[in-house]
Amino acid sequence: MTNQFSGKLDLESYTLDNGLRVFLHRDPSLPLVAINLWYHVGSKNEKPGLTGLAHLFEHMLFQGSEHVDTNDHFRWIQQAGGVANGSTWFDRTNYYETLPSNCLDLGLWLESDRMGFLLPALDLEKLENQRSVVINERRQTVDNQPYGRAFERLNELLYPEVHPYHWPVIGYLEDIEAATLDDVTSFFQTFYSPNNAVLTLAGDLSVDHAIKRIEHWFGDIPSGVSIPAIEAEVRPIGTAAREVMLDRVELSRIYQAYTLPAYGQSDWYAADLLSAVLTGGKSSLLNEDLVYSRQMATDVSTFVLPTELESTFFIVATARPDTKPEVLEDALHNHIAAVAERPISEVSLQRAKNKVVTALCDELQKLDQIADMLSMFATYFDNPKILEHEVETYLNLQARDLSQFAATYLNPENCVSVVVVPDASAEDSQ
Amino acid sequence: MRATLSKRLTPPSPDQPRDFQFPGFETHTLPNGLKMYLARYDRGPLVQMSMTMTGGAEQDPSGRAGLATFSASLLDEGTSKHSSIQLAERVENLGGYLSTQADWDSMSASAGVLSENLEEGFGLLAEIITDAIVPAHEVERLRGQRLADIQRRHAQPGVRASETLAKMIYADTPYGMPINGTIDTVPSISRDDLVECLGIHTTPLAASIVATGDLNPEEFVALVHESFGDWKGAAPAELSTLDTPLLEGLRVRVVDRPDSTQTELRMGHVGPSRIDPDYVPLQVMNSLLGGKFTSRINLNLREDLGITYGVSTGFGHRRGQGPFVVSASVDTASTGVAVEEVLREMSRLQEELVGQQELEETKSYLLGVFPYTLQRIEGLASRIAEIAIHDLPSDYYDSSLEQIRNVSMSQVQSLARKHLHPDRIAIVAVGPASDLVPQLEQFGAVEIDPEKSL
Repeated sequence: MTNQFSGKLDLESYTLDNGLRVFLHRDPSLPLVAINLWYHVGSKNEKPGLTGLAHLFEHMLFQGSEHVDTNDHFRWIQQAGGVANGSTWFDRTNYYETLPSNCLDLGLWLESDRMGFLLPALDLEKLENQRSVVINERRQTVDNQPYGRAFERLNELLYPEVHPYHWPVIGYLEDIEAATLDDVTSFFQTFYSPNNAVLTLAGDLSVDHAIKRIEHWFGDIPSGVSIPAIEAEVRPIGTAAREVMLDRVELSRIYQAYTLPAYGQSDWYAADLLSAVLTGGKSSLLNEDLVYSRQMATDVSTFVLPTELESTFFIVATARPDTKPEVLEDALHNHIAAVAERPISEVSLQRAKNKVVTALCDELQKLDQIADMLSMFATYFDNPKILEHEVETYLNLQARDLSQFAATYLNPENCVSVVVVPDASAEDSQ
Repeated sequence: MRATLSKRLTPPSPDQPRDFQFPGFETHTLPNGLKMYLARYDRGPLVQMSMTMTGGAEQDPSGRAGLATFSASLLDEGTSKHSSIQLAERVENLGGYLSTQADWDSMSASAGVLSENLEEGFGLLAEIITDAIVPAHEVERLRGQRLADIQRRHAQPGVRASETLAKMIYADTPYGMPINGTIDTVPSISRDDLVECLGIHTTPLAASIVATGDLNPEEFVALVHESFGDWKGAAPAELSTLDTPLLEGLRVRVVDRPDSTQTELRMGHVGPSRIDPDYVPLQVMNSLLGGKFTSRINLNLREDLGITYGVSTGFGHRRGQGPFVVSASVDTASTGVAVEEVLREMSRLQEELVGQQELEETKSYLLGVFPYTLQRIEGLASRIAEIAIHDLPSDYYDSSLEQIRNVSMSQVQSLARKHLHPDRIAIVAVGPASDLVPQLEQFGAVEIDPEKSL
């Protein structure tokens, strides 16, 4: 096992008077600087009937602000030689750009302008345009994709209607169509304030200079209101469900989901390491048996979401044309039951640990990944140094911890599944 | 607060830029002809090593589409010392990976490990290159896997659109076929075909080693000597090149997918080869037309019309004449408008000079993002592999950046006139034919494919 890597990163951190938390990581190896902002708001802060608002709002933040014209956010970034984007998730929304390091000021100007001066530039025309773009995004990534609705349906089955993880991040079509300019405005006023954000810079920077420039651009933005608390009951174990979904696909695919404690809890790390044991590479447990030896599946994957209220463990497997989905489902359940009953081998455990550490080293090559990770740790745990703790937690896990996790959470009473099968009627219509 | 606002009125000007040069690498050649490209590149305790072999799917014989990618996938499926799963276990126990692939121009195998495991990782890479035994049962397993994947992908409207476009442009020549083959060609590839294909690739005169990351070049050369000093192989294959004519005019095809909620649109024609002297300046022209978010076509279709989540254009740049392709998923009712606007933007670039400002913005975008693509050791390795595959000079990237800086307004126009053919382009739309045909008839007679044809 490697001793070279502990997850330690050099870091400066402080908070501005308006509540904006700032993290600086210096790495001058390339002439680049990554700027990353996390706002602690996501689809979980929406209400039924207004789903998709957080994501639609994210689009509006690229439509200019008081001192930046409509298409100029991307224009300024790209002409400087930078890349930029944003993304919305259940618990948070992030905005980021990586620029040549001599253009740090440009990035800070753009981010601070849309944090402090967005409303004067918002109008209905921009909203209508981005509403069409988002409707096209939903069609391209969900409605017009084979298996595209499966994850959405899984979450609907897992969580009751009032639970903030019940609806999809991108929102339902009718809600996207119904959002008004007032909805967008009040969303901004409630959630987009420095006290609900984390700013991280990583790359070729001088710490003293960066501190001054951040104060210059963000220091005069006033604090906002305090953020309404989210109330959600944890999903009880014992609400299993299974649904068959007809779709325009050629091969059946099984989606299984189990709930577990939130990201940051020790069970979560056991889940993540178990995921590497099950499907991390060709020699992993499920791949070796289902894809390689018995050839029942064309692919199988597992993953755990780093979500805040509680988390979800997913298993996805595509059946070979000659395998009935029920047979593959049974095989998946049997594997999980075996892991719960009897600890996995030391070799499998060590392999998964090595995989997790190597993957982390791989991610840390990229400044935007480092910055995003630090913003995440600060937002969820108020502790950007959690990386060291995470590495230690993974390395200390034992085979029996994984068994115990599987026995508690990955049992059939906790399993919700959606089985997508070819829609025979679509085939006959030709 | 108003008093402090003046600072916000104009974008802040940049500080002094830091100089950037392409990271250095060493080249060595063994007496048997095997070339090495080695870069010590500090991005953490990682190393990536690959063997790149010239000749890819472009050389697949007629009726054997998928041969190169199928062959590559057998490299790590067993040697005289280790079975398929044992090979996987050995590298995965280290937390690393072995991967094998073929693209149109080359075949390759790679290993990525923590640098403390460099020797073991390299040993495995050397083993699969020099001693792949292509077990018959693995051939049949992968054949089944491959056929199932082809079936799965066939249901994806985007894949369907891209494959239909390739067929319209290149007919039955290799570029007209899916790179992984079809439901008809994959069953006809024999184990002998695979062994023969691997034989003409895994030979020192066709191969180059590219290694990047936390490594000592001197020690690495010694390792290569040890594993490959005695390596002999067949003479590499003579690479053939095809001449593909442009279409005579517009050609329009609809793949009927009746209940689609959107339309997958592809447009394209034959483009220049990777070694065409216009390759670098063409990137400037393409970026401005449809290669970046603020490109003309994306701003038009997404930000003005709101009829797509995004649209992009690109040249395939292969050893042969790769395609120029426009891709987007568009609102079905606006498909005709989308085609019209794309054609109009292509023609406009041929008819009108671009503005100085727009050109400068595009050039500084391409120059600025270059270091961004070199953050991971794999990013550097793939750039160096291009040098190896296409036999480019070692200062290729620094001189390319210089070439980009020098592109002029009139050069963009002449490149557009030479390499864009809005009047000889193929158009494919995958969506409901009843809605699409009336919108597309204005561009030519519409051929209709049924959705199911596997």
